[in-house]
Amino acid sequence: MTQQKKVIPNKLPGEVFKALEAVVGKENITEDRAIVETYSKFGIDISGFLKKHAKDPSNIPACVVLPQTTEEIQKIVRVANRHKIPFVPVTNGQLGIANMPTTPAPTLFIHFSRMNNIIEIDEESMTMRVQPYADYAQVQAEAMKRGLWNGGTPLATSLCKISSQAILAGLWQTSKKYGTIGKNIVSLTMVLPDGEILKTGSCAVEGVDDFWEHAPGPDLYSLFRGSAGASGIIAELTIKLHPWPGKESLPEPEPGRPSIRTYYDERYDKADPPENHRLYWIEFKDLESQIQALREMAHAGIGIGLNAAGVYNSYYCSPTQELTLKRVKEKFFPAYNLYVISACFISEKQLAYEEKVIQRIAELYGGRFLSSEYKPEVLEALRPWNLDCIRHVCGYRMSRHFYLDTWFCSGVPDIGTDAQKIWTTAINTVGETYITDRGGVDDTPFMYATDPAGRNFFTEADVYPNGLDPPSLQKAQQLMLFSIGRTFGQKIGPGVTGFGATFEPFTSFFPEMGPDVYLLLRAFRKVMDPNGVCAPGRSVFTEEEFKQFPAQLADAINRLREMNGLEPIRVPGKHE
Amino acid sequence: MSLKQQLANIVGSSQVIDDAVICEGYAKDQSFVKGKPPDCAVRPQTVEEIQEIVRLANRAKTPLIPYSSGLNLHGATLPANGGIVIDLTRMRKIEINEKDWFVIIEPGVTYEMLQDAVTEKGLRLMVPFGVPPGRSVLTSYLERDVMLAAASLEYGNNLIFDAELILPQGELLRTGCWNLGGRPGGFYGPGLNMLYKLWTGAQGTLGIFTRMIITVQHFSPQRRFFFIPFNSSEEIADIVKLIQRKEIGCECFGLNRFNLAALLTDEWEVPRQFPAAKKPSAQFDIVKKTLPAWTIIVGITGSPYFPEEKIQYEEDALRELCKEMGRAVDTRLPGFPDLEAVFLRESLRPWGILKKFNYRGSVHDLSFKVPLKRIHEVETAIAAGAQKDNYAAQDIGGYFVVMERGRAIHGEFDFHCDPTASEEKDRVIKMWLTASKDLMDKGALFDRPYGDWADMVYSRAPQYALKLKQIKQEMDPKGILNPGKLGFKFQKTEDSCQNSE
Ligand SMILES: Cc1cc2nc3c(=O)[nH]c(=O)nc-3n(C[C@H](O)[C@H](O)[C@H](O)COP(=O)(O)OP(=O)(O)OC[C@H]3O[C@@H](n4cnc5c(N)ncnc54)[C@H](O)[C@@H]3O)c2cc1C
Repeated sequence: MTQQKKVIPNKLPGEVFKALEAVVGKENITEDRAIVETYSKFGIDISGFLKKHAKDPSNIPACVVLPQTTEEIQKIVRVANRHKIPFVPVTNGQLGIANMPTTPAPTLFIHFSRMNNIIEIDEESMTMRVQPYADYAQVQAEAMKRGLWNGGTPLATSLCKISSQAILAGLWQTSKKYGTIGKNIVSLTMVLPDGEILKTGSCAVEGVDDFWEHAPGPDLYSLFRGSAGASGIIAELTIKLHPWPGKESLPEPEPGRPSIRTYYDERYDKADPPENHRLYWIEFKDLESQIQALREMAHAGIGIGLNAAGVYNSYYCSPTQELTLKRVKEKFFPAYNLYVISACFISEKQLAYEEKVIQRIAELYGGRFLSSEYKPEVLEALRPWNLDCIRHVCGYRMSRHFYLDTWFCSGVPDIGTDAQKIWTTAINTVGETYITDRGGVDDTPFMYATDPAGRNFFTEADVYPNGLDPPSLQKAQQLMLFSIGRTFGQKIGPGVTGFGATFEPFTSFFPEMGPDVYLLLRAFRKVMDPNGVCAPGRSVFTEEEFKQFPAQLADAINRLREMNGLEPIRVPGKHE
Repeated sequence: MSLKQQLANIVGSSQVIDDAVICEGYAKDQSFVKGKPPDCAVRPQTVEEIQEIVRLANRAKTPLIPYSSGLNLHGATLPANGGIVIDLTRMRKIEINEKDWFVIIEPGVTYEMLQDAVTEKGLRLMVPFGVPPGRSVLTSYLERDVMLAAASLEYGNNLIFDAELILPQGELLRTGCWNLGGRPGGFYGPGLNMLYKLWTGAQGTLGIFTRMIITVQHFSPQRRFFFIPFNSSEEIADIVKLIQRKEIGCECFGLNRFNLAALLTDEWEVPRQFPAAKKPSAQFDIVKKTLPAWTIIVGITGSPYFPEEKIQYEEDALRELCKEMGRAVDTRLPGFPDLEAVFLRESLRPWGILKKFNYRGSVHDLSFKVPLKRIHEVETAIAAGAQKDNYAAQDIGGYFVVMERGRAIHGEFDFHCDPTASEEKDRVIKMWLTASKDLMDKGALFDRPYGDWADMVYSRAPQYALKLKQIKQEMDPKGILNPGKLGFKFQKTEDSCQNSE
């Protein structure tokens, strides 16, 4: 047990607090301990949990400030620069690892809950301009009224914010057709870490409409996406909209509902697909035939979404954790499967055509349709996906039992096999923390097509340790590290995350990436953040920061490297 | 040791060229951009050779100009300050991944080579309209040339996957899944999700690409082309919007009568060199008279399964929609029964339109993007501006391609000029610059700022330009990579190893 002691959060120097208060007013700034604590509770966040157990205050911001305008963000950032106070942009904080303070120094959280407006919708150019706290549900509701939509939703639910997704992940069940969010951003209005404004996209040029994703010449959006908020703050962003073949509205999710342990609402759990959409589920006998069929379905050019779901079915489709566990144990859902989201833009004939193609390919690979004849009870249980494939509301069911970290990978369809092998070895070597850690071992790792012809799939396996039990958390951390190390050892995928973003200490300790991409990232950071105040060291360490890296941790990472046949990394000043 | 000697040590003396005539050739294309002959050209074949050359250029502080086919036609490869041209035309390897539908190509691979290679395997390379067959595919993709199928979000946009490049100081970098040196198959990463995009539209100022993976599509033998004639561009946006909101078809683009006539003129051939020799054609004048002001072309493509059925339901929907709008739509135009065959060919090997170079020898386009609804306004403004300068509106070539289901269009409007007639040339340069400025004033986006456009565009985007300069300075502190482009100036220092200025 950890010893009982009081956690004293850091404080900002008084003059800094006053300067910030002058920007946003008394109501919108706080260092009240009870409040700042709540801003340090994140979603996916093993190390945060461990820090709490260790009574380590470094996860707790010193101060939270709530700006309302772009100008206020600029002013806040300028104060932080003047006083060299590190700051972190935060929206919901679901992706804990990407939110916490990056140094033990007193850190300022800039939270955007007062910036949640849709600013403008251009129906002709099919774009929508929003503030950073606008979420998917909001965007979809407004777009669908106009026969348009944004192209997808993450399983993180439709409550997560477009801005945080634009900066980091943004993988959708409909990424097959629409790509990840990276393909769907028209422009960003960034407040750079020094307080200056930089616009990307066509509106970077004065007098040009905000309609196209490229500013003249090199595309600087590339330097923000994947930076996890470390190269600036999105103050406004414009997203693409696309033709929407469904009706003007979908059932709205209700605020706060998803994290209630036993929540059940028939409207979502028995939803039909949106108008002009169909969802087809096909079962396969093994991973190999599933993967072959996934590739072929993608090649056939049908569907807006193409994915395979393993243990997620037991979570998303079960209103209670007890039912989740029962279904996992009974292997109620097909271990190997795929689902196609089919939509009809052109005419009814399109749906009929796509169904025929799906049937043919299923036959070719020995797949069986779930239907009123074959496993109707399973098909019935899968009904939450009917709505969730477009607007996700059941995602938090995964967080019922401490969904606390994720191992990602991406690549050609065979990545599914690689992922299963690596994750199985990890589980067999380190052990599991909870039965659903076995998702991806006993069934398919989750696989999303992120490319129209299925050239790239994103795949994922997750851990669900007991958040109240430090050894369980440590084991989950080992599982993560083990599999990340394997991925590097086998040179698979884009690096630490399947979507390319990289966090320290991995950036500096895995110079295989690029190789040496950390040097380039350092150069960009120098340009964007000359004072090193924006989430310092999150995305890449400066040489100085690297030198400060604790020797003990460096040794642990080096052991991981050596385990995977990689040379240890010498930290300047420590190993020399 | 002389620079030439050092280069010869890297690539062998036969691959270092300092013949004055050849070097002159590297300093000219058909654009109005003025180049300065390089001291020499060097023709490496491997990544290691390129790295050594880049390091040498850094040591010698001499400009280094990446050159893959020299057919950008907008001056992007013309040395502004002399230096060394790094000619990559010998790097022509193609690797086709039939299983996952992508190709790995080197910079010297041309559109013609690659399309031939992939169609043989039942695959199809997406192509921009009007590229020369000898154009480097890699640099064309890197420069964000707009694909003919850009109307389709899936098959006409974001087609670059993993890549390998040499940074301005000689380090190698791989992007995408390739970044760890293993199996390619994605565009994410390393470190930032879409890192590769930094180099798009960069005109070789931030790195030299040695290999790129681009995606190829299913090549269906069943494809169809439909034509919708218009007497004015005024009515185009409404109907195109309807077709696109229903996501009918793969390609959707428009040609004005000048351009379509040029394509259909049998008396003209696709030139091999640019500028081309001027060649009057009576047939061109006649064809032009019989064509509608604009023709919108919609391509529908089959798929691997039941292709006829797919084409049929798309065709039915297109016909129905046109009927509702009171518009003619057919696989031919009156007087041109074989038009569909022309576009079945041109949609894969789209160089027929280059016959337009026969008209006066050189072609100077306004290449920009605007929202779809502005097509008519923009065309009218270009025509009015030209007429003020005594350039007949009917001598303007017009082409636009619909992007992402009608979000925008990419337009290319051409002025023609005889490069050997200096008075005409001076007049067209002036007119072209005025028209460029006028379009920018009207809010057209010139997102690939070649030549004189760079200063014009970046003066309107000062903050963006500043950040680009700072990044360039960090990545290429000696400013050696293709200086003079995108407003990046070459700072000649005392020990710069180049002959003048
Ligand atoms: C159950 C579950 C399922 C999930 N499934 C998916 C999925 O299918 N697809 C997917 O993509 N993701 C998924 N995720 C992860 C998801 O990406 C993140 O949870 C999501 O982006 C979080 O949104 P948020 O608003 O909470 O962002 P936060 O976690 O608050 O922020 C994420 C990052 O964005 C930065 N940031 C926030 N606001 C700004 C701003 N204005 N400017 C600059 N940077 C900013 C933050 O600093 C942080 O680095 C899942 C998460 C959970 C818990």
